[in-house]
Amino acid sequence: MTLLIVDDSSVMRRTIEKHLSDYHLDIIGTAGNGRDAVQIVKDKRPDVVTLDITMPEMDGLTCLENIMEVHPQAKVMIITALSDKLTGLQALDKGARGFLYKPVSPEDLTKAFDKLLNRN
Amino acid sequence: METKQSKFETTCQLFIDSVNNYFEHLTQTPAEAGVPYLKEQDNLMLKEFTGMIGISGSRKGFVYISGNQQMYSDLIELFVGLAEPTTEDVLDMAGEISNVVSGNVRETYGSDFMISVPIVFEGRPKQLKFPSEIPVYVIPIKWKSHEAFVVIGLE
Repeated sequence: MTLLIVDDSSVMRRTIEKHLSDYHLDIIGTAGNGRDAVQIVKDKRPDVVTLDITMPEMDGLTCLENIMEVHPQAKVMIITALSDKLTGLQALDKGARGFLYKPVSPEDLTKAFDKLLNRN
Repeated sequence: METKQSKFETTCQLFIDSVNNYFEHLTQTPAEAGVPYLKEQDNLMLKEFTGMIGISGSRKGFVYISGNQQMYSDLIELFVGLAEPTTEDVLDMAGEISNVVSGNVRETYGSDFMISVPIVFEGRPKQLKFPSEIPVYVIPIKWKSHEAFVVIGLE
């Protein structure tokens, strides 16, 4: 199973990668903005994508729409600091399979990924 | 009716709660908040590294968190196991904390409280100036032995 990590913070990208190491996912790329993420999705069609929302170039919600157009099978987990309910609902409406509010602990991520990957 | 004092207290409390949640949730060590105060514009409260967020929509202004290198380095080591982060890593960490603390306030202010991507800088840039017409609130915080400032300038 392949994974793409999208977040404009490089520390956050490495944190997610570290916390998900037990899942033995093949990390096929990382991106710091939505535009690069869409290109990687087009080229490599990852099974799973973690996606931040507040990013330069292209925000995460727009990126999510683009991802769903080119690769609707992708399981997208939104990981964002935007903790209002509307943003969460918008993301789920656009095709996200999961949603996590930052700050995200290792336990938060594990619980969400168990659910996303049906590993309960 | 909301008075200037109650607005000040409400705004500061939201950010104190957000900062506390960040540190406690990720490090199991809560941050201690000092007494918030209204700051005159002429003397900016800056430590070594700063992450700043522009605010637009229902409120307009800025929020920044400024701390010393060692605070960010300790967090990076805790999160990713990197003992000697680069300056770029430290700036990145400064931006990410500001992003999370500001974004979490949307739970109360709603999606019209729009936040920018972080602007990060080291030291005290000469060109840095804030609008003089808005009140600037300063919340001193301490996490472990590290002191930092949360500074809020909102219309």
